[in-house]
Amino acid sequence: MQSHTFRALSRRLLRLHPADSPPEIRARVVEVLTETPDARTFVLRPNRHWTGHRAGQHTTVEVEIDGVRHRRCYSISSAPSDRHLAITVKRVAGGRVSPWLHAHVRPGHVLRLGPAAGDFGLEPAEVAAPLLLLGGGSGVTPLMSILRDLVDRGAVRDVVFVIHARRRDDVIFGRELEAIAARHAGLRLLVELGDLDEVRLARQVPDFAARTTLLCGPGGMMERVERMWTGAGAAARLRREHFAAPPVPTPAPGAPVAVRLTGAARTVIADGAGTLLEQLERAGERPPSGCRIGICQTCKCRKQSGVVENLRTGAISSDPDEDIQLCISRARSELRLAL
Amino acid sequence: MTPPSRTLTRAEADAFGRELDALRAEVLADLGQRDVDHIRAVIRVAHRAEAAGRLMLHFGLGPVSFVLGSGALGVAKILDNMEIGHNLMHGQYAWTRDPALDASYEWDNACDGGDWRHSHNFEHHTFTNILGKDRDVGYMFLRISPEQRWHPHHLSQPIVAMLLALNFQWGVATHDLRLDELIAGKQTWAQLRERARPFLRKAGWQLLKDYVVFPALAAGNAPRVVAGNLVANLTRNLWTFAVIFCGHFPEGVRLFHRDEVVDESRGQWYLRQLAGSANIEGGPRFHVMTGHLSHQIEHHLFPDLPASRYPEMAPRVREICERYGQRYCTGSFARQFGDVLGKIVRFALPGGPRRAVRPAPRCERVRSGEAPRLAPLGPAASPPAIGACPSASAR
Repeated sequence: MQSHTFRALSRRLLRLHPADSPPEIRARVVEVLTETPDARTFVLRPNRHWTGHRAGQHTTVEVEIDGVRHRRCYSISSAPSDRHLAITVKRVAGGRVSPWLHAHVRPGHVLRLGPAAGDFGLEPAEVAAPLLLLGGGSGVTPLMSILRDLVDRGAVRDVVFVIHARRRDDVIFGRELEAIAARHAGLRLLVELGDLDEVRLARQVPDFAARTTLLCGPGGMMERVERMWTGAGAAARLRREHFAAPPVPTPAPGAPVAVRLTGAARTVIADGAGTLLEQLERAGERPPSGCRIGICQTCKCRKQSGVVENLRTGAISSDPDEDIQLCISRARSELRLAL
Repeated sequence: MTPPSRTLTRAEADAFGRELDALRAEVLADLGQRDVDHIRAVIRVAHRAEAAGRLMLHFGLGPVSFVLGSGALGVAKILDNMEIGHNLMHGQYAWTRDPALDASYEWDNACDGGDWRHSHNFEHHTFTNILGKDRDVGYMFLRISPEQRWHPHHLSQPIVAMLLALNFQWGVATHDLRLDELIAGKQTWAQLRERARPFLRKAGWQLLKDYVVFPALAAGNAPRVVAGNLVANLTRNLWTFAVIFCGHFPEGVRLFHRDEVVDESRGQWYLRQLAGSANIEGGPRFHVMTGHLSHQIEHHLFPDLPASRYPEMAPRVREICERYGQRYCTGSFARQFGDVLGKIVRFALPGGPRRAVRPAPRCERVRSGEAPRLAPLGPAASPPAIGACPSASAR
């Protein structure tokens, strides 16, 4: 308590850090492993502010690229008991952060992380149940954390791990999975090249509907699996982790969209024709505002997700957790605002 | 002196505005590492100057370390208030998404950041130089233009201005309290008490920090630390007073009546910002020490762009102004400050060479599609007298 007061006082006296900022989780890169031609694992040693994770969770990585901070979510691929933390990142062609991580991050580099988040994973009671881990592409990363956790706990009893990849070279963790399968009779590993084939899957895993299934992969694959499980009456046994696809802007400005005000827990329908400030005021909200022409920053607020158009610059931006000025922004997709 | 600005039609004003928008977009697209490197370097220098200054005041003996120490602390406060605080609080670095460079920065000044963002970012930058709307025109008690109505109290303004210069941070800190409205009976004591809360909190902390906590930490050297902080605050006060008074009060800067800006377009908003501001010439270090408010014109045209970009934008702005026949008011520090001091003395007396008020650029009420526009100010029946300030919009 005293040291906290002293820190707060010295911070205010010397103004070394922005006031009230939570302690930063930073992690030093210990090792960079090439998993496939376009996937790399970054092995990290976090500072004491990292409070650990549950198998299946993800973390937020924040990097500064050309002066601008960007944040992205990545699944953790290491087990909770591992000495180091690992994230595995697939390079997204045309993306901003993943190609940068691949090109610039080397051992010794320090990354800023967010606390572990997400509720994908196994409940303690499910560990002993027959399991099916179903991953596509980079969707294998959270499943790897879960499998490694089972291995650590000596709980690989009846696990089927199905991986879908485009080519053999694209199978992330392929060699390690084979090694685990060789050591554990309870793990059956199936590597499938190409798209999901429901008939083939039902033939290979005839008892799929009876297994607690953890699914993570591209949107198309997940939809097909969900239909298949629903058809078999097994939807309750299916756990899913969606990698958030970037929100798609509405094709034409003016289409109505829902704006969620997460602080007030209200949802407002914006017709997308005017500025967000006008739309919110028309709906009876009273967000703080000033000049209404984009100069005074009074109406600045945090956009948690969604696409907005800046009416002064015409720029369309879909970055999560970005500050926008309501008076010069127009909704171009569903939005979540911290209001 | 350059000839007065040509009156532009609305179409010309909008073309002028589009050229400035294009320049703004160009710089916006170019923002990057260089800009964060600059502001972080200035923050580093300010921190080191403060640390060096305080160490010399706390542990030094004799006059040399006192002068150096309070000087370094003064420089730290100037950098903190001008290039760092003023510019961060405008949101000039919000695009970096670095919380340390956010507009919520709290500066080493008695003025509360929230009060400042309201009175400066919103009121002053939106209603720049509009009589009765911009409370920065003479700060509601100085007469710096013949268009302001004379009152007998203006006779004392040379002395009042001098006192303001010495205590400038307190002038800034109490600006948003609207004490003039209390005197005019337009604000009750209860309203003032409510309004003064952030000011009291912030000013209390500043006084505690500079005149109690730091002196207490210096134990036996306490009187020296008190004196050093006083000198540093005084240095910063005089410097910021001089720079800021050169921004809008020199010769050639004009005021606007409320009925001139009804339904103002974006281009016309740019024209008003240009006509209402004045630059000071100088070198790169001088510009940093003024927080680049030596480029007041560029700052008023582009208040949300990193100020360190103003010097490179200035020649382009000037060239655009020349093509549109617009006056670009600039001069040496001595000339601009001389103008300001001259005005403070001259307009202490009634009258003055009233400029022919140009016919207001009447604008047809065309709504320009989706472009955001200035909130209509509402037509005024007659030009309002200064000192009788209509209350601004809600916070």
